[in-house]
Amino acid sequence: MRSRLWLELSGFTLLALAVAALPRFISDFRARELAIVGMYFIALIGLSILTGYSGQISLGHGAFMAIGGYTTAVLSVNGVYGHQIRDLWTIPIAGVIAGLAGLLVGVPALRLSGLYLALITFGIAVSFPQLPKKFDHFLGGTTGKILDLAKPPFGLATTPNNWMYYLTWGIALVLLGAAWLLVRGKTGRALKAIRDSEVAAASSGVKLATYKTLAFGISAFYAGVAGSLYAIANAYVNPDVFPIILSVYLVVGLAVGGLESLVGLIAGAGLIYFLQNHADTVARWINQLPALNLDPKQPGIPSMIFGVVLIVVMLLLPTGAGGVARRLFGSLTTRFYTRS
Amino acid sequence: MRVIFVCAVVAAVAVTSAGARPVATPGVSATEIRLGSSVPLSGEAAIAGNVARGIAAYFKYVNDKGGVFGRKITFTYLDDGYDPGRAVNNTIRLIQQEQVLAVFSSLGTSNNLAVRKLLNDAKVPQLYVASGATTFGRDYKKYPWTLGYIPPYSEEGELYGRYVVKNIKKPKIAVLYQNDDYGRDLLGGLKRGLGSKVKSIVASVGYDPTSADVQPQVTQLKASKANVLMVFAFGKFSLQAFNAVSRLAWKPQIFVNDVSSASALMAIVPQSAANGAISIVFGKDPAAPLWRNDKGIKLFQSILRKYGSSVNSRDLQDGYFTTGMATAYTMVDTLKKAGKNPTRQSVMNAATHLDEKGNPFVLPGIVIHTTPSSRFPLTQVRLQRWSANAWHPFGKLITARPG
Repeated sequence: MRSRLWLELSGFTLLALAVAALPRFISDFRARELAIVGMYFIALIGLSILTGYSGQISLGHGAFMAIGGYTTAVLSVNGVYGHQIRDLWTIPIAGVIAGLAGLLVGVPALRLSGLYLALITFGIAVSFPQLPKKFDHFLGGTTGKILDLAKPPFGLATTPNNWMYYLTWGIALVLLGAAWLLVRGKTGRALKAIRDSEVAAASSGVKLATYKTLAFGISAFYAGVAGSLYAIANAYVNPDVFPIILSVYLVVGLAVGGLESLVGLIAGAGLIYFLQNHADTVARWINQLPALNLDPKQPGIPSMIFGVVLIVVMLLLPTGAGGVARRLFGSLTTRFYTRS
Repeated sequence: MRVIFVCAVVAAVAVTSAGARPVATPGVSATEIRLGSSVPLSGEAAIAGNVARGIAAYFKYVNDKGGVFGRKITFTYLDDGYDPGRAVNNTIRLIQQEQVLAVFSSLGTSNNLAVRKLLNDAKVPQLYVASGATTFGRDYKKYPWTLGYIPPYSEEGELYGRYVVKNIKKPKIAVLYQNDDYGRDLLGGLKRGLGSKVKSIVASVGYDPTSADVQPQVTQLKASKANVLMVFAFGKFSLQAFNAVSRLAWKPQIFVNDVSSASALMAIVPQSAANGAISIVFGKDPAAPLWRNDKGIKLFQSILRKYGSSVNSRDLQDGYFTTGMATAYTMVDTLKKAGKNPTRQSVMNAATHLDEKGNPFVLPGIVIHTTPSSRFPLTQVRLQRWSANAWHPFGKLITARPG
């Protein structure tokens, strides 16, 4: 096992170096785009702990992102007793509040599984947008809340986009490390045991209630942090910023990234951003095929491209990016693992 | 050594001459003016993205005729799926990557609210926003770089109120409204228009934009025994309202708000309910028989055929395209007014000193007019009535200018 540890640690170091160096090679706006990818990545890590490791399906993670986003908006615009809080410090608070909401959802989830749990969580995604409308004097209603644009703090000499990039990916790496520690230890083993067979897990002494609720809480914490960053990057929240489809996109990202691969989720996060915002580029590629002429500027075509690409990706990579990586490098790494 | 010296001299000259040149305006080069927009091309409101396709076709036509002072207009429109978060991202992309001179005709109230502050902070014109929320024209002191275009919703509601007071004896009004800023703007305007007769509103029921069907609301309104029904509903909800009225065999005088009054939509609802419905109109409706031989509509169709991308025969009848072209026409006027070397400031000056007569895509006689303290460009409309599968304008031009 020791060589595996070293392998994963060096992989993590390489990733961190790549993240730190990348802005030197890309334009300022690309840094912003990658920052948003990073936010999806954070939310996906959380979803992976819940769905990939503990086997509980959530179709409502967009709502936890919304809770995070709204927490940040309320704290930095309304403030607490008129004292506005700097956006940076609202991030952990947003995570904790979303996490508590996740724990609450986790309790009824104990009695449900599979399809029924998915339905409950989907119900949360559908009903959450009503809250800001109901309490519109406090949460801004459909008009929303406008935040100040993100500025590098402490007089850092960098652009707002680069600041968002380093902030997001800094947090993403820390949370990735935390998730990695979690899933490779006792908790991860317990979660996987629950996923594979609840009866077997319970009979070997795994406390089902504790771990299932915990998985929900942790995963919602991740989503809350992601939502908070998203609110800061866009300087705006309203119910449409966290639409129902966002929850679906997150599940898509998880499937593309691979259910049980943390780093593979970067690919999933990248794909959901790319397909939403660069459908025209994809259309140009598709138009290389004979007898095809898609106009990405026609209403409805971007959604179609999204769907088609998704089907193709899932046909080609049924186990997601993580699965492919495992197959590619598996032969190399199993040697290390099996010797130790 | 000598080589290095020569290089140094060349570099020094290059640096100083570059410094001596006047600071270039973003989005303007010797041959090009760049404009951008964020519109829905996916999601529920995707069809409204046709506004941007109409704009793009019109700019291509203008470019073909020599452009504006020899510069071609490059128009980039990006899909936001009607999600304000993505609209923010698109707008930042337009400013930073596409380096546009102005953001122009982005669609949706929340989507424009979401970017208003950042555009004003960056001093980038946010021109002719495709939303009738009153705030875009009213709050110019706080947001001097923002300008609306279409008649504000509140004034539209006021017109309906004034019409009812004048023309309907003993009105008993029922109101179905979307429970957000848009629906409430219309309702508030209606109350103002009714003035002392505001009590003639016997029932008003709001629905949530995420509801499935408004039939329950319409049933509730029918119970009030009203003889007038205001449909301040958007898209499919307006369609459902007409269906419900027909199913309940209710015969009120219906008023339907402008953004839901597209001919294509009115043609598919039960005609027993639709016939006689009243709305306002400011653009020429390419589907209306009245304009079949109109020069403006013929121009519109020839431009769309020649310069539009993947246009089909239905698009030639689509009012979103004409609205787009009307806005684009005003934009070209604005650019001409902004001078031979436009800057963001001069574009904004031009946009707040409009006096445009003869826009071929709006009703004859409409003057698109702004001053620095009156920022609602399009405030003249006519009423129109639906019958025999088409809208028929009636009455004179009336003004819907706030305050």
